[in-house]
Amino acid sequence: MSIILSALQYLGYILIFPGFLFCFLGGMLLCGIDRKIVAKMQKRVGPPVLQPFYDFFKLCGKETIVPAAAAKTTFLMAPLVGLAALVVIQLFIPVFHFSAFSGMADIIVILYLLLIPALSIIIGGAASGSPYAGVGLSREMVTVIACELPLVLVLLAVAKTVGSALGTGLCFSLTEIAAYQAANGSLILRASMIPAALAFLLVIPGETGNHPFDAAEAETEICEGMLAEYSGPPLAVYKLSHAIKMLTLTSLFVALFLGGIGGKIVNILALLGLTGGAAGALGVLLGAVVLFLLCALITIVCISLVHAATARLKIEQIFKYYWTVVSALALMSLVLAWYGL
Amino acid sequence: MFKKLIAESAAKSPWLFHINAGSCNGCDIELVSVLTPRYDAERLGFKLAGSPRHADIVVVTGPVTTQSLPRVLRAISQVPEPRCIVTMGSCPQSGNVFRGSYSVAGPLSKYVHVDVDVAGCAPKPEAVIDGLALATKILKEKRGR
Amino acid sequence: MDFPFIKEAISQLFSKSSCAMYPAAESPAAPNYRGRIVYHPDRCIACGMCERVCSGNAITRRVEKTDEGDKITLTFNLGSCTFCATCADFCSRNAIEFTGDYHMVATKEEDLLVSGSFIKKPPAKKPAPAAKPQAAPAEAPKETPACAVVPREDGKPVSDPSKCVYCTLCAKKCPAGAIEVDRAAKTWALDEEKCVACGTCAEVCPKKCIIM
Repeated sequence: MSIILSALQYLGYILIFPGFLFCFLGGMLLCGIDRKIVAKMQKRVGPPVLQPFYDFFKLCGKETIVPAAAAKTTFLMAPLVGLAALVVIQLFIPVFHFSAFSGMADIIVILYLLLIPALSIIIGGAASGSPYAGVGLSREMVTVIACELPLVLVLLAVAKTVGSALGTGLCFSLTEIAAYQAANGSLILRASMIPAALAFLLVIPGETGNHPFDAAEAETEICEGMLAEYSGPPLAVYKLSHAIKMLTLTSLFVALFLGGIGGKIVNILALLGLTGGAAGALGVLLGAVVLFLLCALITIVCISLVHAATARLKIEQIFKYYWTVVSALALMSLVLAWYGL
Repeated sequence: MFKKLIAESAAKSPWLFHINAGSCNGCDIELVSVLTPRYDAERLGFKLAGSPRHADIVVVTGPVTTQSLPRVLRAISQVPEPRCIVTMGSCPQSGNVFRGSYSVAGPLSKYVHVDVDVAGCAPKPEAVIDGLALATKILKEKRGR
Repeated sequence: MDFPFIKEAISQLFSKSSCAMYPAAESPAAPNYRGRIVYHPDRCIACGMCERVCSGNAITRRVEKTDEGDKITLTFNLGSCTFCATCADFCSRNAIEFTGDYHMVATKEEDLLVSGSFIKKPPAKKPAPAAKPQAAPAEAPKETPACAVVPREDGKPVSDPSKCVYCTLCAKKCPAGAIEVDRAAKTWALDEEKCVACGTCAEVCPKKCIIM
């Protein structure tokens, strides 16, 4: 009986929160907020915030055309693999002090799972058999390689900081990082972590493939690159994965650097006199709302603002930028963390 | 119920694909000015898609020259159903001053079924928005079939 | 990597958008905008000038013979029009007008045709002069001065050689290009096929030597 109950509970986690439904709603809302804020910065009205939902359902109603030169099964299955990987990553990221599956996986798992959505779009593009997709996927591969280095350095820096504070060397477990921050305050408040936070903020638009780092999916240059031959529901799934990636990366930022807010939530609930089971549920709800608001704020700062203020970079400029400037920032933090500062 | 949701969403998010079939670029400039902050068609959901496979509405400008005719037809055939074809300006509708030339293959309606004509040389951006809104309505009817 | 427009981006986030909210808000065309054509058939004389100068071959004329005369229908195809307004410039009667209506969106080709028709009655037959020519000046002093030519029955112009000074103004103003005047040889010739009996030559003649 209890097995069935826990199975249902886990199913709820996977499908509703922090699984599929939360990712769907949260990701699409973030995407809509990004488009609206970019429009406002460009002094125009912009689409309604619910526009990505309209786009998604409209695409579900179009017909799917599979080109004659395409590998059919791979072409149709690739988007689903990317979507599944992203939902799994979101399951592993703790929502402040609530962690559904975080005990099972740590930062290293998230690091290599983050590669799968990019790979799925590369394989989907390769399966479509279009030369535009070929150009797009080679650029996407370069972008992924460019973003990996600073990302690894930032994660190492965070792991070393928390590890040396806890006395265990390197601490890769996200639950322990969240618990440490809940007890001792956010990591971003330390001076040695600020370069790492800045580097991570700059990695986010590169990983999601947003302007100005969207040379891989450049609309006007190469006819949408890897997605050139997609139409209908598979395209809808790709647009959904793009939106969920925004949510995943921003919630990873919150979990790594802004985790101290979780402790404040517990304090507020204790002030209101709630403890135990009710505090658990309400705390989770409050935590989810606060997480979403923080994600929206981070999206506005690092995705929309950068979108509105810059022009698209060439692929070699992207590579050079990530491997010099951003990596230098992350390396600075890593060195400071290693010396225990 | 799901169908109704899809139909409602499709009316609010039609994506455009623009084909220049030998135009003088006057109509192209008026079309992209519809997407600038002054007229901002994006608040109505219109977005310029990079690939014909992503589009709902195809906007064709220019008299269809003999060199561009097979390419225009191939691009239009790649647009998934339901789709709507809008001709912009008087060139694809009748050839305008280029009619009878050795390099003009004639009005577009000779080759594909054209849904909406926006007349003008070049039409004002507000007239283009009118034409696109009419095309969205026609798309809704097509979907209802 | 520098961010040149960050200041504008942040300040514009809090300022009003510069959208002209069409179709919610009205948006009239500029004055003198050349939009939809309005044709006034009551002013038209069917001289055919607009048809000749139209750059897009958008004007067609259809003539049907009816009991009262010729029913002439002019059709303007807005789907072939360049809106250059050359036809309105050349129309001597201002029968073509370009309004500020720019909403020309159609699903059928018929919606883009502007047409109008009018009946062109044949000119009233003038009675042949019954009295002898020398009696005419005494009987009708108010009429036009005695001319040595008789008007034609079909209403087309005829020139009085005794008054004509071969200034070539009628030839220049003829919308149909039907008059040929040679100053040196002092000849005035009318191409009867081209002439549409619009009366412009008689109006502009400084010596009033052309009668219809």
